[in-house]
Parts: sequence; structure tokens; C-alpha cells
Amino acid sequence: MTMAHQPMIDQWYPVALASQLPPEGRATQLMGMPITVLPGTPVRVVTNDGRDLHVIVRYGHVWTSLGKPSKELFDIPEADQPGRRLVEVGVVRVRCSPLRAVENFLDIAHFPFVHTDILGAEPHTEVGKYDVEIRDEEDEVWATKVQFYQPQAAKSASGGITTDYMYRVPAPTSTVLYKTCPARPGEWDVITLFVQPLTEELCDVWPWMALFDDETALTDLIHFQQMIFLQDRSILENQIPRLLPLDPGREIPTRADLTSVAYRRWLKRHQFTYGAQLVAQ
Amino acid sequence: MPVETLRDWIPVALSADLPPATVIPAHTPSGILALWRSASGKLTALADRCPHRGMRLSYGFVRGEALSCIYHGWSYGLTGQCQRIPVHPELIPPAAIKAASYAVEERNGVIWIAFEQPETPPPALEGFKPLRSITLNTDAERITATGEMRVLLAGIDVLLLIVGIGVGETLAHVMVDAAASDVDCIAVSRAVEGWRRECEQLGLEELAS
Repeated sequence: MTMAHQPMIDQWYPVALASQLPPEGRATQLMGMPITVLPGTPVRVVTNDGRDLHVIVRYGHVWTSLGKPSKELFDIPEADQPGRRLVEVGVVRVRCSPLRAVENFLDIAHFPFVHTDILGAEPHTEVGKYDVEIRDEEDEVWATKVQFYQPQAAKSASGGITTDYMYRVPAPTSTVLYKTCPARPGEWDVITLFVQPLTEELCDVWPWMALFDDETALTDLIHFQQMIFLQDRSILENQIPRLLPLDPGREIPTRADLTSVAYRRWLKRHQFTYGAQLVAQ
Repeated sequence: MPVETLRDWIPVALSADLPPATVIPAHTPSGILALWRSASGKLTALADRCPHRGMRLSYGFVRGEALSCIYHGWSYGLTGQCQRIPVHPELIPPAAIKAASYAVEERNGVIWIAFEQPETPPPALEGFKPLRSITLNTDAERITATGEMRVLLAGIDVLLLIVGIGVGETLAHVMVDAAASDVDCIAVSRAVEGWRRECEQLGLEELAS
């Protein structure tokens, strides 16, 4: 790993579910560096040469950084809102760039083709105009006023509805989705994707949710989210090149890809380039 | 192995393995192409990468006379020209949105592709008929220097079309004597498995020595 990746070294990453740490700890890696997550009070994350890394336990996960994080972990205020069910989905390993995993999560136009008859269905393929901005104060990418027709938007939804979405990227490999809550109109369900970069071309993905849903069995909620993400994995492992191109190069974005365009621009601006391809090939 | 030129025909599949309205990854020494047959039977070989987001087109689906990308459904016609972008149904895709297409021909039950249009058609392989394609975990160079070999398997005359598709990865299209009966074909098919093991074993022994 080179100094060129310093801006990403100084970020927070999920490395374990706090509730599921085995007694001997979880051996894993972060950006190519072998680490061990040790249970206890407090939870510790250590490198093989005995260095203790910064640790935060939040949103069900253990977060750490190989460097010196300049900011606190991003806030998800809904995580503390009474009445929400916090769902730890677990981990899915994907042979792709951690940045590609995030970009795919920001994409809505693939729903009818990849999540057919669940999150989308032909002929409802059109994505209307929506707003995208890089918010200077928070330094986050936001997409708002996103709307899409879905046959079964959530486990608790029966029948098709037009769903409203907001997307947020508060950290280079973490993203938060707010979507219409079928059980409680006026509130947003929160679904996140926390991505642990193992290498530039391999990642562990930790979905996590904060939902208003008292009905659905926990197992069903987890299975639903895992099924969706496994469908995404078949895409993510077969994109060329494996690294995310930050310059348009040989790709052709359309208006529906503006969230992706903003995300890539934001990554480039901050030199968040671990898992990225800088020169168009 | 002979030095392949862009104008050489490369056998990539047997006709029987690509029915109408399907797509397969066609392995060549230079990488994978998306090879598809339209509903009306027309063959097209395209670069295996959707120009939109880089998804492999060989994972896509064929409807009518178009191949669609599995990621966002962008569809491509017989020339590789993008015809439809579902997220913008009203948009006529600009001519610049195109997947590169390559020469493809089908002859005597074998599908051949070339990266540039060759001056002559692919070989007819008269006197033979296609049986099956197999993959071998060995280098093509260990099997043949010419890309083609004649062997006797189960007493039947067999022609093997050999294509190296990667390090330790070889594709062999098995052609049998056109006069071979169904029983002969089954016997050859079994014997080919033994031939594959011999080739792979040979590779391992060479590695060990």
C-alpha cells in the first residue's frame, strides 16, 4: 500500500459484527493488512505486529482505521430513533472493488433486470429526473427525489408501489439508503451498505438496516436482504475492469447515472483511490 | 501453436450448443467474446463488455433480434449498435453507443470467429461431423503445434480442433467421422474423456520432471 492511499487509510471501516465476535477473535484484513478483532470491553483491533488501532462500536459493527481518522464516524440519527428494528444482516464476500460495491448500491436502473419482480419489473424501467449534490458542509454525496416503481419494495410490502428513495454516501465505502416505509407512511426505512475493503479487488459487505417493521420475522428480513445482495454479486464480479474507473474513459453514463457520476467525482476530489482506476484504459 | 493472426478463423463452439435466442461466452486465445444467436437464427460475436458500465454481455439475454445486458437491459442489434436504453425509453441511442462486433461464420456444425474479416471462409472439415466440445486443464501447446489433430478413438476417425484459451486451459472441439453411427459416437464420447485425462496427466508429469 502506498502513501497515495493515505486519504483512505485515514477512514473508518467495518471489520466485524460486535454481537458475533468469537472468543478467539476474528482474523481478517483491511486494505491488505492482516488484523484481528478481539472481543472484550473495550473491543480491540490489533495488527500482526501488535499495534492497537482506533476502534468505534456503532450500528452493530466494529469500526476501525489503519490511520488517524480526522472525523468521527458519520452519524445516522435514525439508528437511535425509538421503534426501529436494527437488523444485522451479516457478511457477503464479493470479488470486486469496494468502490464498485458502493456504486452498484447507488444505482436504481438495474432493479428490473437484476432484482426482477422484487425491486423492479419491466416495463417499469424509466428513472425520472432526480437531484444530486455534493453537500459541502457535511462533505457527503446526496441523491434526493428519486422515485421508482417496485413490485415488492420490502419484505413488509404487498403488491406494487412507487417508492421514494434518498441515497447518501458519507464515507468512501459506506452508503445509506432511505426509502418509503410501507408500514409507516411519512417515515423512511434505512438500509445501509458498510463495505470492508480487504484488497482493491476484494471486499466484505455488511448490510445493516433500521426499519419500522414489527411483523416480519428476523430470519425473513435477513434472507430478503441477502437474496438481493447475492443478485448484485453476480453483476459485481463480472464487470470490466475490476477497479472502478474514476475517469469516464470507456464507460457511457446517462442522466440516470448522475449519482454514480457524483460519487466518482467526490472520490477523485478526495483522492479516495483505493479500488479505483485513475487512467482510462 | 501456430501464431494466430487477427485474420485467422478460431473455432469457438459447436452449432448445437448455441440454440436460437441464447448467448454464450466464446473463449479465444485473446479473451472472451459474447456469442449469440437471434430468435431467427442469426449469429453475432460482440466484445464481451457493455459500453455503459462494463458488465459482461455474455451474461445477458436474447430477445428477438437483440442481445440485452443483464445489468440495465441496454440492448444491442446484429451489428452491435445500441438499440434501446430502458431507463430512458424515449431516447434513441446515439450511434456512438456500440459494442465492437467481429466476423462470425458457421460451417458444418462449427461456429468460427475472427477478429478481422478473413479472406477465405473457415474450413469445411469435409467427412466429419461435430460431436462435442470439452475443456482440458493443460496448455494447448502440449497437445498440438498446429491447432488440429487426427486421432483414432474407439476405432473411429476423430478430428480435434484445439484452442488454447488461457494458461493451463484448452478447448477441444471433437469432430467424428461423418459415417459414425450413434453407438460409435457414444463410444468416442467416452474415449475422449480418457484422452483428456492422458493430456492432463502428461502436463502434470512434465511439471513434476
